[in-house]
Order: sequence, then structure tokens, then C-alpha cells
Amino acid sequence: MAGTATAGDVTRPRRRVRAPRWSLAIPAWVLLVSFFVIPVLWIVWYSFGEKPNLFQTISTEHLSFGRYAESLDATGPFRRVFVGTLQISILGTLFCLLIGFPFAYWLAVRVQQRWRGLLLALVIVPFWTNFLVRTIGWRILLGPQGPLSTLMQNMGLRESPLAILDTRSAVQLGVVYNYLPLMILPLFVALDRLDPALREASKDLGAGRWRTFRQVTLPLAMPGVIAGTLLVFIPLTGDYITAQVLGGAKGNMAGRMVADQFLVAQNWARGSAMAMLLILMILLTLGIGALIGLGICALVRRARRVDLSDVETVPA
Amino acid sequence: MSAGTVTTARASEATAAPPRHKVDLTNIALTVWGVLVYVFLFLPIVMIVAFSFNKGRALLAWEGFGFDWYKGLPHNDVILGTISTSLKAAVGAAVIATVLGSLAGIALARRPGKWTILFMALVFLVLVTPEIVDAISLLIWYVRIKGPFAPVPGGGTDLLHPVNYGLLRLWVGHALFATAVVTLIVRARLAGLDESLEEAAADLYASPWRTFRQITLPLMLPAVLAGALLSFSLSLDNTIISTFVHGAGATPWPVYVFSAVRSILRPEIAAASTLLLLLTLVALGLVALVLKRSGDSAEDVARTMAGAG
Repeated sequence: MAGTATAGDVTRPRRRVRAPRWSLAIPAWVLLVSFFVIPVLWIVWYSFGEKPNLFQTISTEHLSFGRYAESLDATGPFRRVFVGTLQISILGTLFCLLIGFPFAYWLAVRVQQRWRGLLLALVIVPFWTNFLVRTIGWRILLGPQGPLSTLMQNMGLRESPLAILDTRSAVQLGVVYNYLPLMILPLFVALDRLDPALREASKDLGAGRWRTFRQVTLPLAMPGVIAGTLLVFIPLTGDYITAQVLGGAKGNMAGRMVADQFLVAQNWARGSAMAMLLILMILLTLGIGALIGLGICALVRRARRVDLSDVETVPA
Repeated sequence: MSAGTVTTARASEATAAPPRHKVDLTNIALTVWGVLVYVFLFLPIVMIVAFSFNKGRALLAWEGFGFDWYKGLPHNDVILGTISTSLKAAVGAAVIATVLGSLAGIALARRPGKWTILFMALVFLVLVTPEIVDAISLLIWYVRIKGPFAPVPGGGTDLLHPVNYGLLRLWVGHALFATAVVTLIVRARLAGLDESLEEAAADLYASPWRTFRQITLPLMLPAVLAGALLSFSLSLDNTIISTFVHGAGATPWPVYVFSAVRSILRPEIAAASTLLLLLTLVALGLVALVLKRSGDSAEDVARTMAGAG
């Protein structure tokens, strides 16, 4: 009897302490709401405002879609830069995927396990050098008097110095370089989780290596592909630092135009509207991408459908 | 005996690529590709290290080998100051993000409910918002709320400003994204672990605090450490938010480097970066050693440090 009483005494206070354990998330809630949600909502509100005069940055007395219309104006620079940014980011994401997938597959499946840890660590080391400094490294390498240019000229491959710096190609190269590890890591995780037995089973069932890859490995790696695409595409679209370091005057990105409205033109309303358009563009592109992906999946599934209605005994 | 051999063979096949005696073209092609990707990843870093020994006054024009810029570093107060600001910002942001993110991760994994969907939506929103949007909204917000986020009129610190306002702005600004990342990593780790261990501890009359300290914390430690490392490096790399919110007297290193790109690049930046890289490698090596001591395999260690769970 006394024992039961003790047990009850111990249990009850424990429940009382443990019940509000979701409250552990309260500090994070407070931080994210007060320094992310509210400030971003403020920007949404500001995007309908205007710049009243030369000395004030924002006025919200007359709310309108004027700033959006201004930004989207066909004759203005923002629209052109917007389209250019989208090109760079879509191409950059595709390049990262094309370079990253075979690499991640090699690292997760083909490399012997005792090397895997070291090789994975080597992917992360560049991550630990400041990305701005690494981008400057490309400026050194690709410069007209840089090592690559000198080497190519000495080998007779080129007569004039290399002129890739401050072009769109340089920007494209730079963003692929900077965001490649963000593609490799989720792909590696997805491919590494894949049980080798699945591939063996596919082989035992008579599938060739290409077919095994196409029908077993690739579909199961899709979560990694999606995560990597999101991790690369979103920050890449907002990034203007890489473009400015490698592209010079040609490296104008949408993010830079937003930044300039705040740092140079002091037109907070237009800057906010441009930022909203940037988010909308990202969401729209991802939405279209998702639809295309789903469409392809549906087509593949239809083409591969196995009709079981004729089969008399379905093996369990 | 034979059954045992078969199992062992299967096990080794499962972990390593099956040894093939005939020449495997795919394997060779993939290995070549792997090596090329490593060359690609390391090329610019090699450039920075090499050109840090440039004697000339401009980084991009090689004029001869020398340690001149390294010798100048200890007396360069601007560079030392910006690096120290960056380190302070990174430590602060990593502490905030690791504590808040870990707590939120525990709550998400162990006390899921209706609030989980809302919270995960918020975390997802933070992760998908481009940094430039965070940057402009924080700038406006800091200017508006003032308090500890605005400079003291006379300079220095007072009751409302226990730390430099610029540093506080960097801490909060860098901690936002990092908190979301830590939350996800810790949640993923705990969701993969059975809660029965914690229940067993509770059944054995351990207090909630003791259960946390002796069971939950050791289990989630790799995730917490990975989150802390990631937060630290994200903060060190952060350029866009820092450009917008940094205050007088608290210019972080990337903002300084970025302004140098637009004016003139001197080899001192490469020299400082090379030293920082060495320091980071030593620090990472120490972390790897600690993890290895605690019983992780080499691959687990690399995974933890990549934040790959």
C-alpha cells in the first residue's frame, strides 16, 4: 500500500513537469516571429507604399500596386535583370545536378567504405573557407594575367589573354562552384541510405545495370534530388555577391537591384516590391518545376504499368 | 560455417563495392569524374593560398614570392578587427541557434501535435526565403524597434545596451536561418531514435532533467554538434545580411572583403584567409578527434560535420 502511494507520488509530479514539453519550442517561436515573420510582413506592407520625396525613404499614406507596376515595366532595367537572374539560377541548378549526381553516386555507392569518410570530409573543407574568398580565387585563376590564361598562351592554345572574367559565363561558373556542395550533400545522404540489397535484388531479377539505375536507384534518390534542388535554387536566385565579384558590370542580379533600392536609391517601397516579386518568381518557378516533374513521373509510371488483371496467381 | 561465410561475404558486399576483376568502364569514368570534381572544388582555394605569397601590391598581379603580407598582418588593425568581429558574431549566433534549435527540435520530435505543422511551416518559410529579403526586412525592423538594436547616442554601453548594438544585430540576424537548420537536424536525429529509452529512464524514477542529461542529450549530441558547426560556418560566410545590418565598429570580415573587391584587392586578404583556413582545419580536426573518441566511425564523423545526420 505504501509502495503504491510512493509510486503515485513520483508519477504525478513527473507528468506535471513533462506535459508542457512542447513549450521548449517557445524561444525559437519568439525569435522567428519577432525577427522574421513581423519584419517580412512589414516589407509586404511597405511594398504598397511610395517614396514621397527626396529625403524620406517611405510613406504608406497612399497604398497602391504602383511599385510593382514600375518594377515590371517592360522598359525598366528590373525586368531584364529578372529574366537574366532566372536563366542563371535555372541553368546553375541544372549544372549542379548534372555534376553532383554522378559524383554523389560514386561517393555513396562505388567508393570503398574506408575511403568514404575522408572523401566526404574533403567535400566539406571548401565549405569552411569563406565563399567570398573562394570566389576571389576564381578571379585570380581566370584573370587575363592569371595562371590559366598564361598556361593556355604558353601552350599555344590561345593567342590573346583569357577574357572570361566579367562575363555571364564567369557568373555561371561561379554560382555552380559556390552551390555545388549544397547539391552533393543531400544527394549523398539519399543515395547512401539506399540499401544495396535493393540493387542486388534488381540484378537477381535480371535487370541490367542501366535498368537497375533507372528503375531502382534513381527513383529512390528523388528526395535527395528535390532537397538539393531547393537548397541550390533558392539561395542562388537571391545571391548577388558571386555575380558581382565575377561578373563586374555584367553581373547584375535581381538581388542586387533590391539591395540598391535600399543602400543607394533609398526607395524602400520599390525595393520591397522588387523583393516580393523575387519571392513570387522563386515560388512560381518551383511550382512549374514541380508540375513538370510530376508530369514526367506520371508518364513514366503509365509507360511502365504492369497489368496484373491477366495474372492468375499474384505472388505474395 | 559455409552459411557464416556467405553472410560475411554479403555483409562486405553491402558495405564496399563488389570487387570486379574485369575492367569496369563505368567505375573508371565515375572515378575520373570524382577526381575532376575535387580539382574543381579545390582549385580556387589553391589559388588563394598560392597568391597569398605574392609580393606585389595587387592580389591579382603576381610579382614574386615573399612573406611580406604575412609579416604585415599582426599590425593590420582593420583586418584583425573585422576577423574578430566575425568570430564574435559567429560564436553568438551559433550559441543562440544551437540552444533554441535544439529545444525546438526536441519538442517537435517528442511532443508533436497540431502546433507542429504550423511550426514546421515557419521553419520551412525561413529556409526558403532568399537572404536579401531577410536582410532588408531586418534593416527596417532594427531601425524601427531601436532599443538595444540602435547605437547609444554617446557611444559605449549602458543598461539598455549590454553589448555593442552592431554585434547584437549580427547575432540575431545570423541566428534566424541557423535556428531553422538546427531545428531540422535535431528533430531528424531524435525522430530516428526510439523514445522507449527515455521512457525507461522515467520508469526507473529518473527526474525529467536527469533523463534529459543522461539519455536524450548524449543521443542527440552528434546532431547538436553538427548544428552548432553549421551555424558557426553559416555566420562566418554571411555577407548579405551582414552588409545591411552591421553597425559602426562591428564590420564583419566578409563585408570588409566585399568592399575590397569593389575597390582594390591586396594579397593581405589572401594571407589572412590562408591563416583562417589553417585554423579552421585544426579546429575541425579537433572536433573530429572528439567525435572519434566518443566512438563514431570515420564516416559518422564526416557525416556529423557535414550536417548530413
